[in-house]
Amino acid sequence: MIFIAIMVGCILGALVGINLPIVPYTYSSYLAIAIVAALDSVFGGITGVLKGEFDFKVFISGFFCNAILSILLTYLGNKLDIDIYLAAIVVFVGRMFINLTIIRKYYIDKWSNKIQEWKDKRKQLRND
Amino acid sequence: MKKGKKSLAITIGITFFILVMIMFMQFKMVFQTDITSIETMREEELQEQLASWKKKYEETEAQSQEITETLNKYKEESSSDSQTKENLEEELNNLNLMLGTTDVQGKGIIITLKETENTEEPIKADELMVIVNYLKDAGAEAISINGQRIINSTYFSYINNSYVRINGQRLTSPFEIKVIGEPDYLKSSLIGNGGYVEKITSWGQEINFEEKKKIEIPKYNDEISTKYMKEK
Repeated sequence: MIFIAIMVGCILGALVGINLPIVPYTYSSYLAIAIVAALDSVFGGITGVLKGEFDFKVFISGFFCNAILSILLTYLGNKLDIDIYLAAIVVFVGRMFINLTIIRKYYIDKWSNKIQEWKDKRKQLRND
Repeated sequence: MKKGKKSLAITIGITFFILVMIMFMQFKMVFQTDITSIETMREEELQEQLASWKKKYEETEAQSQEITETLNKYKEESSSDSQTKENLEEELNNLNLMLGTTDVQGKGIIITLKETENTEEPIKADELMVIVNYLKDAGAEAISINGQRIINSTYFSYINNSYVRINGQRLTSPFEIKVIGEPDYLKSSLIGNGGYVEKITSWGQEINFEEKKKIEIPKYNDEISTKYMKEK
């Protein structure tokens, strides 16, 4: 169900996004930082699901708040003439890597467990 | 639970919809925009370019100003050169005219002064000088006596009680004095009540005035030279 919703959302989003008018290049840095923030939230959400501590409200609020906050920070950095968006990118991408590591480890554990189980089963079968 | 799951699915779907939409907008923008065109440039890039162009503009402007200045200078020089030349020539001509080193012509009068049989007193240098003085007073621009141009350094002297010397030339009666100037003024300076002409006639000399529209007066023939005088 959720998987289907994600797929439908992705396809619709791609179609709509392609057909929307072009955003001026000046705002591209804001959009990019928002995308990075949203992706970070998505990976965080996946990690949460895997860990079993996924909170829907936290996910949604993080998704939007991070995006908006990063946009605001970028804007502020523009005004202050400091590349604050670099800090945001470092934080978001760093967290994405951490989450990816967690996800990877989770699946590696899962798969190695499965392989172990399979091996055990075969051993048992052979013994039988 | 089912209802909760459905709303969860829808919300996540919307979230992904937004995410992917923005991503594709960004992709499209990055893909389609020509980074070098001005409309799509970021502010900083524009500022940089603006600054560089401004610098170039200023340099070119300074250069052009310099060139214009040089050009103006040359123009001024050339114009002032020709101007000075013209002025100098004009001045030279004027000076020559005044100095009496050129033949001149113009309207004026011719005075003939001669001794007659019953002349009591001969015509002396003093008399001629006085006449010349009167004429100058009346605005005479050029004067000659018997073809001798009266200039700055002209002298009158009466030698041996017999002849007048002007410019080193020996002159005797009759004297023909040619004057360029306003004829009426010239005449009235000598004629008139109690004028010099009365004296002249009283000495038994004959004086005649002839008004002419065109009188030619020859130039001063000798060289004008200075020995002691120098420009300060």
